[in-house]
Amino acid sequence: MIVNELSKHFGTVTAVDAVSFRIEAPQMVGVIGPSGAGKSTMLRMINRLTEASQGSIRVNGRDILHLKGKEKRRWQRDCAMIFQQFNLVPRLDVVTNVLLGRLNGHSTLKSLFSIFGKSLVEEALAALDRLGIADQALQRAETLSGGQQQRVAIARALMQKPKMVLADEPIASLDPLSAEKVMTSLREIRTRDKLTVICNLHTLDTARTYCDRIIGMHKGRIVFDAAPAKLTPDVVRDIYGADHALDESVTSTSIGERSAGADPVASDVKMAS
Amino acid sequence: MTADTIQLEIIAMEKRRKLYSTIGILLMIAVLASGYGLASSMNSGSFLNGLEKFFDYPGEIVREAWEAGSGFFALVLQFLPALIETLNIAGAATLVGGAAAVVLAFLGSSNLGVKPPVIISVVRRIMDSMRAFPELIIALFLIFILGSSPVPAMIAVAFHTAGALGKLFSEVNENADAAPIEGLESCGANWLQRMRYGVLPQVLPNFLSYFMLRFEINVRASAILGFVGAGGIGTELRRTIGWGRGAGDETAALFFLLILSIFAIDQLSSFMRQRLVSGKAGS
Amino acid sequence: MSGSAMTIGSREHSAAGLGVYPVVRRNSLLIIAATLAVAAYLAYVFVAFDVAGLIAKAQPMRATLLATDAVAHKVHVTKFFRGDTQTVVAVEGERTATYATPPDWVRIADNTTAVDLGGGYRVEIKDRQLVMETPDFGPIRATVTGRGVVTQLPEGQSAPEWLRATAAKFDARPTIGRRVQMSRTRVEVHRYFGGWENFFFPFRSELTAYSPMEILRLAFSPERLQADTPNWKLIGHTFWTNPDWQHGHVFIALLETFLMAILGTATAGLVGLPLAVLAASNFTPSQILRLAVRRLFDLLRGIDMLIWSLIFIRSFGLGPLTGALAIAFTDTGSLGKLFSEALEGVNKQQMEGVRATGANRWQFYRFGVIPQIIPVFISQCLYYLESNVRSATIIGALGAGGIGLMLVETMNTQRDWENTLYLIVLTIGLVMVMDTLSGKLRRRLIQGR
Repeated sequence: MIVNELSKHFGTVTAVDAVSFRIEAPQMVGVIGPSGAGKSTMLRMINRLTEASQGSIRVNGRDILHLKGKEKRRWQRDCAMIFQQFNLVPRLDVVTNVLLGRLNGHSTLKSLFSIFGKSLVEEALAALDRLGIADQALQRAETLSGGQQQRVAIARALMQKPKMVLADEPIASLDPLSAEKVMTSLREIRTRDKLTVICNLHTLDTARTYCDRIIGMHKGRIVFDAAPAKLTPDVVRDIYGADHALDESVTSTSIGERSAGADPVASDVKMAS
Repeated sequence: MTADTIQLEIIAMEKRRKLYSTIGILLMIAVLASGYGLASSMNSGSFLNGLEKFFDYPGEIVREAWEAGSGFFALVLQFLPALIETLNIAGAATLVGGAAAVVLAFLGSSNLGVKPPVIISVVRRIMDSMRAFPELIIALFLIFILGSSPVPAMIAVAFHTAGALGKLFSEVNENADAAPIEGLESCGANWLQRMRYGVLPQVLPNFLSYFMLRFEINVRASAILGFVGAGGIGTELRRTIGWGRGAGDETAALFFLLILSIFAIDQLSSFMRQRLVSGKAGS
Repeated sequence: MSGSAMTIGSREHSAAGLGVYPVVRRNSLLIIAATLAVAAYLAYVFVAFDVAGLIAKAQPMRATLLATDAVAHKVHVTKFFRGDTQTVVAVEGERTATYATPPDWVRIADNTTAVDLGGGYRVEIKDRQLVMETPDFGPIRATVTGRGVVTQLPEGQSAPEWLRATAAKFDARPTIGRRVQMSRTRVEVHRYFGGWENFFFPFRSELTAYSPMEILRLAFSPERLQADTPNWKLIGHTFWTNPDWQHGHVFIALLETFLMAILGTATAGLVGLPLAVLAASNFTPSQILRLAVRRLFDLLRGIDMLIWSLIFIRSFGLGPLTGALAIAFTDTGSLGKLFSEALEGVNKQQMEGVRATGANRWQFYRFGVIPQIIPVFISQCLYYLESNVRSATIIGALGAGGIGLMLVETMNTQRDWENTLYLIVLTIGLVMVMDTLSGKLRRRLIQGR
């Protein structure tokens, strides 16, 4: 995948400013940067949820930004997306939510009547099983905890049989324990399925722990793009701005640290388990 | 200085408000009194005369029904098909109109990614004008073209229902959470699939609740439209009432059927709506 | 907190994990069954209402005629064969709208009347014979003889489908806007013109000749058309009493309908509110009283507007009072129920606060309850007013009067559809104005003043 001079303007504001990078072999890319740096917008442009203003994204030689209609939707299926707020259908049961990952390619009429074949259901159950939540298959999605819902979302992404996975702040709303499970699952997609995973993260240590490569963004531009080992305090200052407190613990979510305390529910869960 | 003026201002404002509300109430009473005066003078029968006669007619009907004895229930049974026809007019009209309303509502909601956006405002205008057309006018017009039959009433009621429910449905749609829709879009689901799974499960309980309420309203409307020639219980009523004296027992039987069914539907619909709103419905 | 419960649950489910597919399939079967049930019901209604037969019997031609007639007017050229054989040219064939000198498309000379219908269509009537010329068809002759009406088509041509010729009647309508009829007693030629004729002033009025601008100037001119009345009064009166359109009567009918709606709704609101207090559990401790009032609400609603109207028409006769009372009775039930639900939902703290200041009972209601209930009250009343304008037209049609009754009557006479359309436009206009007004007021109320 070759991203070239990708930009997005909202009115006079430039959210993403001529971003270029390329991903050759499957790898896990962590995108870090302060909020408002354009990380989400970039991922959303790759998935075509947001239209790009300029630039191109070439995958196997064709510019996916110019795809329309059916081909665009096919591309969206190929690059599965995971959201901070899970974006599941809360009133539907888990297995149906996972099945919805395959709506593309399913006939519209069949999907209107909720007709899914046995093999599809088995595939969905396998995906759920892989994430350890096959037992909740018939529960309504809204009754699950945040971490479980995010794993349902990952199962849905797997159901898409994607060629790459985009994750937009997948653990920002989760307690540390769930966050770890979710990140491990994403890492597994990279190692086991040999897929590229691009993951927006707001914590440096998570990015360091799980990613092969880190892209740092600041005000819509890429200011860093290298292996995690090269992420020196100077670079971090460039990414997060000079006046930003550079104590890494501020941006950390390792278990037992401050962000756990910030979420009372999360700490409750931890104590109970 | 400022505190004093503020206090004075507040007192003045209080006084003004009191004055306004007194004027408002007096105005309302005046309007009502003069309105009734005007209405009474326009009426062919006078108010006081009418009051005296108010119980005559119901009394007469009840007496005749009483005299009919067990024959009354035979009459009730005899009119059952007419009631069913009225219920069918309402039922079919609510279903057809409701289905049209769902389509209109999805096309007329601003948050569902309908393209091009012109469709949204056009569909909204369509819904507004469908709502504005009184059922009576459509029914009369269609009776003229199609002849006396339940179908004109059904079309008329369905037409109005599509507009009225469409507006309510689109308001529900516009309050729907965007996250599930976005989630499905990111999977490559097409527009219909996004509506079916991203929106419908969220809005269905509210849709059903409005649907029930509308069915109740439509039963009443169908009965009334029967009176202008659209069939069902209304047509029977016009016949028995048109006969003047002598058909009081039949009229009573019809009233009895109508009141009973409206009462039953009213209770059923409020029971079901309560259940739906309290969130027990699946999808 | 749910963590441990879930692990236990998973053991139990594992065996049943295979049971997922049947559930998914059952869901889809349920959806299909529901769809089929609806379709089956509609099919049943389709058969029960005999829709197929209805479509076969329908007269779509009526719709076209009606549509044409509603937006156009026709001028009749009539010639009688018996009695006074003079040719008469009149708008809609009405005696009050007869031309003193025929318009230029009708030429009358001796015993020949030539009518130019425009577009190459011409009719010539001489004695008891007519000759009709059309652009794409040869001349057609029709003669009244002792055996009836005899029609002669041009040689070698068969009758066109727009012609119906029998011994009793010759009826040709080559286009919607042109019609020629001949019977033993007379010939009648119709030519349609767009627009509503004599909408403002009657045909005979001297005002008809003036343009709108001239009318406006006349209205303020000191030179009087009639010595005893000022011009503006004359113009107003002529318009108001126009016999073809009856603007005055129509206006009064509209007013009646409006009165029914507004009086009925206001009464229902004002009676419903105190009753609602009696039905609300947090204001009325007595359960018997509460139940009694609630059943009263149910009864008022259950009897329904139709029955109330019929009862009131019997006792009060025709008129807005009847309609107003029918609406008031039904909606006291509906509004009362709504208000009592709203009252049960009021904020207790605010009420307690007012009570704590030592307010007496009336002050307690005035300051603790009314401010909370008033937005619901007004917005529901407006909403009901909106729908009651529609109801009032229907009640009117049942016999209570107003625009509804007028509409039914003009429709039943089936003569002047332009009048019907006029009434329809006015009714929809009234409904739309009320909808918009009440919608605006309600929105303002919800957003706060």
